Amino acid sequence: MTFSARELRLLALPVLACIALLAAGSALIIWTTGKRVAEERALAAAREERSQARERLMRIAEEEREVKEKLEIYRRLKDIGILGEEQRLEWADAMARIRTQLELPDLRYRVERQAPLKTVPGKPANVEFYASTMHVVLALLHEGDLLRFLEDLRASGNAYYAVRSCSVTRSGQAVTITGLSPRLRAECDIDLITILDRAAKA
Amino acid sequence: MKRLLYFTADDHCVYAWSRGRLTLEAKFPGDDLGVTAFREYLTGHRGALFYAVADLAGEDFHEELIPYLRGADRELVVQRRLAQRYRDTRLAAALTLGHVSGERRNERLLLTSFTNTQRLTPWLDALAESEARLAGMFSVPLLAPVLAARLGARGGRCFVVTANAAGLRQCYVDQGRLRFARLERMADMAPEASAAFVRSETGRLAQYLSTLRVLPREGPPVQVIVVAPPGQRAAFERTLVSDTRLSFLTVDQSEAVRRAGVKAAPPAMGAEQIYLHLAVRRPPREQFARREDRRSFVLWQLRRGALAAGALGFAGCALYAGASWLDVVDTRAEVADLQAETRTTQQDYQRITSAFPVTQTTTDNLRATVIEFGKIARQTASPERSLVYLSKVLADFPLIEIDSLQWRVDAKAERGARAPASAPAAAAASTAAGDASRAPLEVLEISGRVGTMRGSDYRAITAEVQRFASALRADPAYEVQRTQLPFDVTSEGTLSGDIGAGTDTGEAQRFTIVLARSLR
Repeated sequence: MTFSARELRLLALPVLACIALLAAGSALIIWTTGKRVAEERALAAAREERSQARERLMRIAEEEREVKEKLEIYRRLKDIGILGEEQRLEWADAMARIRTQLELPDLRYRVERQAPLKTVPGKPANVEFYASTMHVVLALLHEGDLLRFLEDLRASGNAYYAVRSCSVTRSGQAVTITGLSPRLRAECDIDLITILDRAAKA
Repeated sequence: MKRLLYFTADDHCVYAWSRGRLTLEAKFPGDDLGVTAFREYLTGHRGALFYAVADLAGEDFHEELIPYLRGADRELVVQRRLAQRYRDTRLAAALTLGHVSGERRNERLLLTSFTNTQRLTPWLDALAESEARLAGMFSVPLLAPVLAARLGARGGRCFVVTANAAGLRQCYVDQGRLRFARLERMADMAPEASAAFVRSETGRLAQYLSTLRVLPREGPPVQVIVVAPPGQRAAFERTLVSDTRLSFLTVDQSEAVRRAGVKAAPPAMGAEQIYLHLAVRRPPREQFARREDRRSFVLWQLRRGALAAGALGFAGCALYAGASWLDVVDTRAEVADLQAETRTTQQDYQRITSAFPVTQTTTDNLRATVIEFGKIARQTASPERSLVYLSKVLADFPLIEIDSLQWRVDAKAERGARAPASAPAAAAASTAAGDASRAPLEVLEISGRVGTMRGSDYRAITAEVQRFASALRADPAYEVQRTQLPFDVTSEGTLSGDIGAGTDTGEAQRFTIVLARSLR
C-alpha cells in the first residue's frame, strides 16, 4: 500500500506523536535509572560511613589508651619546641652557647631555607613536617668534641636534630707545646625538623 | 461513535452504534433520491466511521477450487476467478473453505457477490466522497457464522434462520464457515403462520442444497437455529418439530439479542439488530469492499495504531520508571535511616571522647603527629654509636692510623651493593630480599693506613687490614660493605710494585673500609 503526499501528511503527526511519546518514556526511564544509580551509590556510601562510625565506636577503648599514650609524647614534643614554628634565633643562641661551653676553636654554620618533608599518605592535611638543613664546620681538638657538640645540640631543643652526614678529617696542624691548636676538622649536615600542627591550640 | 449503513431491498437505514446501543439516525429510500438525501446527510458527518451491511436477495454463492498458493500469487488467482465469475467485481469476495489434499493440494473458495451491485455502488461512492471511513462492506450471511457460534451451534452443519426487516434470512453454515444463504420476503403473519412459513422454507432450502450435493442426503439431522420474533417462541416450537432430516432449536429474539451483546435497539427492529451489532463487534475478515474503498479507514487505523503504540510505549516506560522511582524512594528512606544511625553513632563517639584527657589538638592530628614523628626518628641516627664502636675496635690495632671518617645516613642504600657482580645467585638473592635490604643505612667510611711497617711487607700489611676488617664485623649489627686494601689483590684490579730500587720509601700504605648498619 503506497501513500499519497496528503496521506503521509496525515500520518506524520501521529507518527511524530508516537516517537515523542516513546522518547519521553525513554527519557523518563533514563532519568529514573540515573536517580536510582545515584541513590544506590549514596546508599553504599551511607553503609560505609555507618560501618566506619560503628567500627570507630567499637575501637574507642583502644583509642582512649592510644590518646593517653600519644598525648605524653605530643606534650613532650611541644615542651622541647619541636612542635611549632621554627625558632632560628634560639638555634643561633644555642650554637654560640655550645661553642663557648666546649671551647671549640672554630664553629661555623649555615641554615638553609625551610622545606616540607615528604610524609606518608593519609596523614591529616593540617599537620606538616618541615626540615631546615644546617651545614656545620667545626674545628676540633679531639674527636670527642664532635660527640659532645651533637649531644649538646640535641639537648638544646627547639627542633629535632637528624644528622644526615658527618666527616672528620685531620687538619694537619701539629700539636704545639705552647698552646692547643685544632687537630681535626669536622663537617656535618644536620636536618632541623619541626612540626606544624594547625589544629593545635595555643 | 460508529455508524451502520443497513441496505435492504426497500430502503436503507443509518444506525448509530455506541457501546452496544443502536439508534436509528436516518432512513433513505433505495432510489436516486435516497442517494441524494444520503449525500446531504453525510455533509453533516464528514469523516464518520461507517460499517455497511447488506441484507439483499440475489446474493450469489459459488464454490471454486484453486491451487494452494500464498500471498500475491493467491490474490492474483482469486481476483482472476472473481473476474471470471462476476461482471462487476467491486463488491465481490472470496471466502476460504479450507484445503483439499489430493494429488495436488488445492484450496476451496466460496465466491460471493451481489447480482446487482449497481444498487449499492452509488452509496459507497457517496461515503468515499464525504471522506467517511468505511470499515467494511458486509452482507448478513457473512455475519451468520458468528451468530451461529453465539447461539450455541455445535460446529457441524447448521442453518441459521432469522426474521429480519428484509425478510426471512436463511444461512447455511458448515464447520463454522458460510456455504450458502437466501432471503425470502416475509409478510406480516400470525405466529403460527410464520412458524409454518419457516418450516416450509427451511425444508425447501435443505432440499435445494441436497440437490446441489452441498448438503449430504444421508447423515445426522441438520441443526436449524431459528431466532423467533419476540414472544413467538412457543408458537414456533409447536410448529418446528424436529425430524430425521432437520433438528430445530428455537431461540427467542430477546435471548439471541442478549447472547449477542446488544444493549439496546429501536423496538421495531427485527433480528437484523444482531447482525448489525456483530458487524461492529466481531467483523469477519472477509468482506466486499475493495482496498481503495477502505483506504481512509486503513489510514485512520494506522494513525490510531501509531498513537496507541506511542501511548502504550509511554505507559510501559512510565510503569517501569514508576517502579524505579519506588526503588529510589525506598533507597532514599534507607539512606536517611543509615545517616540517622551514623549520626547517633557519631554523637555517641563524641560523647565518649569528650571524657578523654584534654588534648591540645584533634585526635587525628595527635595520632598523625606522633606516628609520623616516630617514623622520622626511626629513620635517623647519630654518628656517636658508630664512632664509639670504631674506637673500641681500634684499641686492639695500635698499628692502624685513621686519616678520615665519613659518616652518613643512606636512605636508599642497598646492602651488599659491592657484592661480586658476576655472581648471579647472589644477585638473585639480593633482588629477593630487596624490600628488606632497602631500609636506611648508617654508613661509616674509614680511611687510614698501617703505620711502622715496611711498604714492601705487603703480606703483613694486607693481613693487618683484613684482621681489622674482621674485627669490625664482630658486632652482627654492622656489616663491612667494602674493603679497599693497600694492595689490590683481586683479579679485577691492577697490582703494581717497585722492588728494583732496593729502597723503601717509608710511605704508609692506605686502606678504606666501609662499615654499614641498618636503621630498621
